[in-house]
Amino acid sequence: MLKIDNLKVSLEEEEKQIIKGLSLSINPGEFHAIMGPNGSGKSTLSSVLAGKDGYTVDSGSVTFEGRNLLEAEVEERAALGIFMAFQYPIEIPGVGNMNFLRTALNSQRKTRGQEELNAADFLKLVRAIAKDLEISDEMMKRPVNVGASGGEKKRNEILQMCLLEPKFVILDETDSGLDVDAMKLVSKGVNNFSSSSRSFLVITHYQRLLNYIVPDFVHILVDGRIVDTGDKDLALHVEETGYKDFL
Amino acid sequence: MSHVDISGWYNSLQQEFRSNSSKIEKISRRSEYWRKSNLDIVSDFVYDSSDTDINKQKGTCLYEPDLTIHGDNLEFMNKQSNQISSIMDVIADEQSFAKNYFGRLEEKSQKRIPRPLARDNTLDPKVGFALSFSDCLKNPLVIHNKTNTSNSNCFQRNLIVIKENVEVTIIETGNNLSVFNTVTEIYLEKNAKLNYLDFTGENNIFPKICHKFCDMAENSSFNHFGLKLNTKATRTEIELHLNGKGINTSIANVSLLNKKNHFSDENVLINHNGFECKSRQVFKSVLENDCTSIVRGKIYVAPEAQKTDGYQSSRSLLLSENSKFFCKPELEIYADDVICSHGSTSSSLDRESLFYLLSRGVHKSKAKEMLVIAFISEALEEIESEDIKAALSNYIENWISSFFNE
Ligand SMILES: Nc1ncnc2c1ncn2[C@@H]1O[C@H](COP(=O)(O)OP(=O)(O)OP(=O)(O)O)[C@@H](O)[C@H]1O
Ligand SMILES: [Mg+2]
Repeated sequence: MLKIDNLKVSLEEEEKQIIKGLSLSINPGEFHAIMGPNGSGKSTLSSVLAGKDGYTVDSGSVTFEGRNLLEAEVEERAALGIFMAFQYPIEIPGVGNMNFLRTALNSQRKTRGQEELNAADFLKLVRAIAKDLEISDEMMKRPVNVGASGGEKKRNEILQMCLLEPKFVILDETDSGLDVDAMKLVSKGVNNFSSSSRSFLVITHYQRLLNYIVPDFVHILVDGRIVDTGDKDLALHVEETGYKDFL
Repeated sequence: MSHVDISGWYNSLQQEFRSNSSKIEKISRRSEYWRKSNLDIVSDFVYDSSDTDINKQKGTCLYEPDLTIHGDNLEFMNKQSNQISSIMDVIADEQSFAKNYFGRLEEKSQKRIPRPLARDNTLDPKVGFALSFSDCLKNPLVIHNKTNTSNSNCFQRNLIVIKENVEVTIIETGNNLSVFNTVTEIYLEKNAKLNYLDFTGENNIFPKICHKFCDMAENSSFNHFGLKLNTKATRTEIELHLNGKGINTSIANVSLLNKKNHFSDENVLINHNGFECKSRQVFKSVLENDCTSIVRGKIYVAPEAQKTDGYQSSRSLLLSENSKFFCKPELEIYADDVICSHGSTSSSLDRESLFYLLSRGVHKSKAKEMLVIAFISEALEEIESEDIKAALSNYIENWISSFFNE
């Protein structure tokens, strides 16, 4: 599904390479976790996959379902089925959450040549998802993320994921800042959403999430490179000893 | 040229005002009040009636009109309008209520800022309405300005008097291709309230200078909302005199400009002369290409105007590098117990917000539209009526797609 080959990425504004030769292959239905020290390049990797500007790809390639992903516009990537849950979801004052969600969903459908969802069907769909994630009506009526707590913002990201039904999901520290109950809600949401055709790349600092969502692979990212890959036991090891073995 | 009947009182006013006119500083680049402005608006104005676009330019029409100003004719369409008369009839009428009002605010508004064009208008009005309301209006009064190609470059003169405890909403729609210079004098008595929404001038290729002068008595309120949807060249001069206690006022403007060299030039002067009055000014300009927006908002607080609360916010969203925003907030305060704040910003579209929307699959032009609508929403919030606000937001949302898709 996703194939990253020897990817090297620098910041556009500074001469600083962040991703220094990273290769990763993700098949349909697989669940990959990435762990790594602060500043090792995890969010940079997710931003590059989602298509954020401000980065220069120095070399390497990224293909998604056989297509050169790096050439696609941000909104095209979304329509192809790529979704990144932001580590720090932003607030957008003046843009109503419902309007945003409906526009996003229908824009993607339009790009894919599907019919747009009407207001009533959309409402039914979004309400059902919000209910599962225990997101209040009041929150849904607000402008995007405005006044939401850290944990509420993360839940909104999961709501967007469930609504937009992507094929490939990047969760960038979605578990950080969640209380115990929210963690269960979010993991349940993710587990319900997973299927044999969907893949996940989950960035986390904590083994805790991996108790709920069991990864097929755990990668350790240090200084822009994957330095080790294993199964869920690798995450347990990191939890105990930290990253000193990998530095 | 048609002969105009004039009354004795108007005749003497004309003579008095004409003799004082020489004291009013003329418009020039050196003048403080025109430094950043586009002087073409007054000097290079050529009316070309052969322009085929004219009839296409209907302007913003959100509502059915009660009164249509068609060139220099007034057409009344609705009985709501029986308290309205033509300004030309008014200045011909010896007994008109207008004789205590006409020209007085124009004269007063020359005190701090020279307004030679307003004076020209006083001396030679061609069309306009005079309203005196002693009862509330249930519905907004809708005045529609319509093109009349045979009558160009005309001065429109309006007079509005709202009596004690009366509340009125006026919406100006349509286009004013034939109107170049308007002066509206507004008198609000105790507890009176006027909501004035000016939606004229959408895609107007002709320049327009619009003056509104308002005298406000105790506990009155005046809310003015202006909209410039790709209007080529406008200069607005609003001056308010808050003369009693407990007066409330809000002046808001939204300018969306992206056609060649368009500009809007907003000038507001609020004179706080009374105790515990509140004024708000909210300006939002969205500019692309070589468009310019100028905002000059001044708050003057007289020594007796304690507990004044003055707020001013001027913000621009610059969508290209060659668009320009000039903002000059001014405070002149002679009272010690006042709160006055002003903020001014210029920014481009927020990249993080744009990325967030795009990453969810929203198309680029739609994402920009959403952020522009979000940006102007603070100004739309100044509109009190939920119905009008909703109708207008809807209108702008539809209009804005043409803004980006050309
Ligand atoms: N836009 C940017 N401008 C300057 N530096 C940047 C930018 N983006 C990333 N960096 C730098 O690149 C490095 C990697 O950052 P990144 O956000 O990818 O780390 P991370 O692994 O996600 O860390 P964390 O665990 O703290 O979230 C850091 O040193 C960071 O300061
Ligand atoms: Mg990060």
